[in-house]
Amino acid sequence: MSNPLSAFLRDYLTVGIFASLAFVLVGLLLFISWLVRPDRRQAQKYIAYESGVDPVGDMWSQSQVRYYIFALLFVMFDVEAVFIFPWATQLEVFGFFGLIEMTIFIVILLLGLVYAWRKGVLRWV
Amino acid sequence: MLAATSSQFPVIPAMILLPFAGAALIGLLPRSRGDLFRPVALLTAVATGVLSVWMLVGFEDVARFQFQVNQPWISDLGISLHLGVNGISLFLIVLTGLMFPVAILGSTPSHDPKPYYAWLLVLMGASVGVFAAMDLVVFFVFFELVLVPMYFLIGLWGHGRRVYAATKFFLYTMAGSALMLVGIVATGILHQRGTGGPLTFDMVAIARDQVISRPATLWIFGAFAVALAIKVPLVPLHTWLPDAHTEAPTAGSVILAAIMLKLGTYGLIRFGLYLFPDAAVTLRPVLLTLAVLGITYGAVVATMQKDLKRLVAYSSVAHMGFCVLGIFSLTVQGIEGSVLVMVNHGITTGALFLLVGYIYERRHTRLISDLSGLQKSAPIMAACFTLVMLASVGLPGLNGFPGEFLSLLGAFEGARWWGVVAVTGVILAALYLLWAYQRTFHGPATGENARMKDLRPGELMVLAPLLVLIVFLGLYPAPMLERMEPSVKALVAHVDRNSDGFTAVERRYVGPAEAAEREGEGG
Amino acid sequence: MTALLAQLAPGNFRAPTLDFHALAPEIVLLVTLVVLVLLDSIKLERARASMPAVTNIGLLAALIPLVTLAADGGTRVMFGGSYVVDPMSLVLKALFIVSAYVVVLLSTNYVAEGDYWESEYYVLLVSSVLGMVVMASSRDLIGIFVALELLSIPAYMLAAWRKGDVRSNEAGLKYYLMGVFASAILLYGMSLVFGVGGSTRLVDIGLRLEEIGTEGVPVVTLALVFVLIGFAFKVSAVPFHVWAPDTYEGAPTPVTAFLAVASKAAGFVALIQIVYFCFIVRPDIIQPIFFVLAVLSMTVGNLIALRQTNVVRMLAYSGIAQAGFMLAPFVVAGELPVQSRQAVVIYLVIYAAMNLGAFAVVIAIARKTGSGEIESFGGLFQYMPGMAVALTLFLASLIGIPPLGGWYAKFSVFKVLVEAQTGLGWATAIVMAVNTAIAAYYYLRVARAMWFDDAPDGDTTPVKVPAGLTAAVTLALVATLVFGVLPGLLSDLTSFQPLALGG
Repeated sequence: MSNPLSAFLRDYLTVGIFASLAFVLVGLLLFISWLVRPDRRQAQKYIAYESGVDPVGDMWSQSQVRYYIFALLFVMFDVEAVFIFPWATQLEVFGFFGLIEMTIFIVILLLGLVYAWRKGVLRWV
Repeated sequence: MLAATSSQFPVIPAMILLPFAGAALIGLLPRSRGDLFRPVALLTAVATGVLSVWMLVGFEDVARFQFQVNQPWISDLGISLHLGVNGISLFLIVLTGLMFPVAILGSTPSHDPKPYYAWLLVLMGASVGVFAAMDLVVFFVFFELVLVPMYFLIGLWGHGRRVYAATKFFLYTMAGSALMLVGIVATGILHQRGTGGPLTFDMVAIARDQVISRPATLWIFGAFAVALAIKVPLVPLHTWLPDAHTEAPTAGSVILAAIMLKLGTYGLIRFGLYLFPDAAVTLRPVLLTLAVLGITYGAVVATMQKDLKRLVAYSSVAHMGFCVLGIFSLTVQGIEGSVLVMVNHGITTGALFLLVGYIYERRHTRLISDLSGLQKSAPIMAACFTLVMLASVGLPGLNGFPGEFLSLLGAFEGARWWGVVAVTGVILAALYLLWAYQRTFHGPATGENARMKDLRPGELMVLAPLLVLIVFLGLYPAPMLERMEPSVKALVAHVDRNSDGFTAVERRYVGPAEAAEREGEGG
Repeated sequence: MTALLAQLAPGNFRAPTLDFHALAPEIVLLVTLVVLVLLDSIKLERARASMPAVTNIGLLAALIPLVTLAADGGTRVMFGGSYVVDPMSLVLKALFIVSAYVVVLLSTNYVAEGDYWESEYYVLLVSSVLGMVVMASSRDLIGIFVALELLSIPAYMLAAWRKGDVRSNEAGLKYYLMGVFASAILLYGMSLVFGVGGSTRLVDIGLRLEEIGTEGVPVVTLALVFVLIGFAFKVSAVPFHVWAPDTYEGAPTPVTAFLAVASKAAGFVALIQIVYFCFIVRPDIIQPIFFVLAVLSMTVGNLIALRQTNVVRMLAYSGIAQAGFMLAPFVVAGELPVQSRQAVVIYLVIYAAMNLGAFAVVIAIARKTGSGEIESFGGLFQYMPGMAVALTLFLASLIGIPPLGGWYAKFSVFKVLVEAQTGLGWATAIVMAVNTAIAAYYYLRVARAMWFDDAPDGDTTPVKVPAGLTAAVTLALVATLVFGVLPGLLSDLTSFQPLALGG
């Protein structure tokens, strides 16, 4: 550790190597597939999705605000899960203290759910 | 202690608090009792004036600061409510005690009497505070505080472009005082560095120790000088004055001329000479030049004025120039003369503004061209005006003379060539005042001018004390000189002792300098 | 880093001992928050009327442990030095809570009469205050960042509270986008700081930075610059101020008061933590940055404020200038750590009192005039003399006229700048003096309208001011006067013992 800067940069060097490898790999695969695939052009192939709904109308179409609310609620519980999983793997280590902490965390999150429920957010009107 | 007998009663705090209390009382009175505001204001102002006279009587002719009060305020910064008077500030406080009752009696506000009298009293308390402060921070506090009531007095009860004038006045002074605050802080801290002792903003301690390095004092003195030169005003920084004086209500003009301008010159003595003698000596030529410029420029511009009030305003610029000239002549005579000019200019110009106010009330114009022949319709007023005007010109025997004479005498001793130029100002003063008098009071009285009412007895009573003082101080200024002489001598000795390249110009005049030195505190 | 991992290894974990006394203010606020949400969830619309009262009781209750902690004295360190309750943090917490209390007083009628979401308003307000209170004690990069987000995110929403109004939406959106942008920059800076310092605890980073010395200058400089820029956004220092005027004007006025006072103060508290517990070891890097920020903020803020015709916008720009004054002591942080920190805290406290007061009066007057245009204040002295006098006093205090609080704030900043006797210190002092005079002009314009002009519509019927607003104005006025007349009180309160970096 003579020079912390170079040590610091060396850590990033690994990242840099991996990043360039990734670019090379992607380029390589695209190149190989271009080499081996047959090439028959059709109009159908140029629409955005090969399956599903045909994209029509403006790019900036509006979505129902309900989707956002549900997305938010989903994120809320998603984050909850993100915290609970690592905690669960170390349950014995954290012991009783961990239990209390997690209870408080869940209760506060639940409070949000109660709020959302009472305010009628959960109903799809 | 000699002063022990007279320092039993804290007269200075009383003189500061009394007007504030009066203002608070007026603030608490209901608006419906409109008849009470004026008596309360008058009573408070007169009581304060009486206290100032009591102080004058109890004052001893020594250089020491008297009636001292010292009360810690912000102890960890070494700021204390240190108040006191010496021979220089004494008369300015008495002048404050005199002019405020006169200003209150001499005119009535056109509307809203309640805030009008409250602001006047706040102004009075703050003015006494400025003159009595012996702590730099306390000085600054009062110096700033003076601004606010004056701003409202001009802006609310003034004439014409009152708001413009008030704002201009406020901003000019504010710009200077911000610089001064930096200067004050720097003084305190550099003094602490120099002595290694505790932080203090006490003027006496800072002046005594003189530990601040020379380059630093030059900068700090510069900051102070700019702030104070705006207040005086010295010439390139004077442009707020004609507007403020002209648009202010009569009482405002009287107070502005009589008291507010003195804050600047008083500050120059206190901070210029007393705190930074060395810097004052070094930068002396600059200030002398500005003073002389003020004298001549003020006089020339006054000659050209069409508006009577503006003329008086410009004459103030010239008179204050004499003050600064006297101060920076750095001689005993010069400084004594300068203090005399301060007091007497306060009296005469206050009286002039009152008279112009009376004319305006009757004729609703201040333009010289609209007035003529008033002598016939208002002989008593003409007589008063003549007396006051001659005093302002500096006629021997009236109060304008001794101060101007001593200032010039000092200047000839200490700063000869500046003195030579300044003398022309005396001639010009005679020119513009006499000419103005001639145009307004002589000649044929036509139309409105012929029907103008003379002074009422009440108005004459207001003017009477000023007229008496004009004559008395002109004939017999000795009582004033006696009281200020020890202080001034001590100050000159202090400057002499603490400055390089300057020896009190005529040591032969400063015979008792050593005696003053032994007195200890100077300035 | 390895130490952190080792802690998590099985068998090595020990539950931290919690000092509940020290955490009591935070806990009380959290309980208040829960109570508010529950109240709202259970009683729905019927809860509206009781919300402000519950909020105020909660805030006042949070003050009690602050007083007992202050009486107890001493410094309480938790979580391995990441969370510290010392006298300085107590003063700052009290500042936040009292400011929030005043803001609630200002909001009560405004929110109730404006047909806005009322319950959520107070919930968000309290959570923002909780973030500020946490900020005052955080001595750790993560703690600071979490506190910053906790105080900012509710504020973004509050800024857009008048949701029917385009301006308010713009206010919220601008504030949000700029805030998130600032957070991103801040996080990047923090990651670099962590990379160099090898710890998230400020004192450890400080020691490490000192150890490195002048080695690795580029990355250290970069790290510090990014972190400071992140906070410069929060305190709306020029050139990172562009969001402030639009946000302040568009947001509901009580929220503006909250943003201009509490939120800005929180940004400064974060700066105090970061600078005085960590970055202070590299004054050569941070002082020039602060010099530029301070000088630009006071000058640009003042010059633009000169041209404003709307009081709230004028206060926004004047707030930018005032932020410049508050940044000034940082310019001499290296020479005089203890005194310059004290100067910042003193300025913060006094600024909070006078600015909250000014906003309170503006809200009271806007109830009649319905606008914040300076012209609409004409003739105020004729029909609402009390409010006119109060606003005049607040403005005079902002100008710095003694004996009102503002003068002492300026005085203490000048003192520390001069005392350092460095070139940068002197230069800042001079620029500040010039700016003080410029600032006087636009504050005077408001006073001028109130006193000298006539009412623009000729309507001079006095308007009834709700008790809450009167209380807020009185509280701010008393504070402004007391700080000005007895500044010794404040300097005693803020004369913190110097904290060794190792503490």
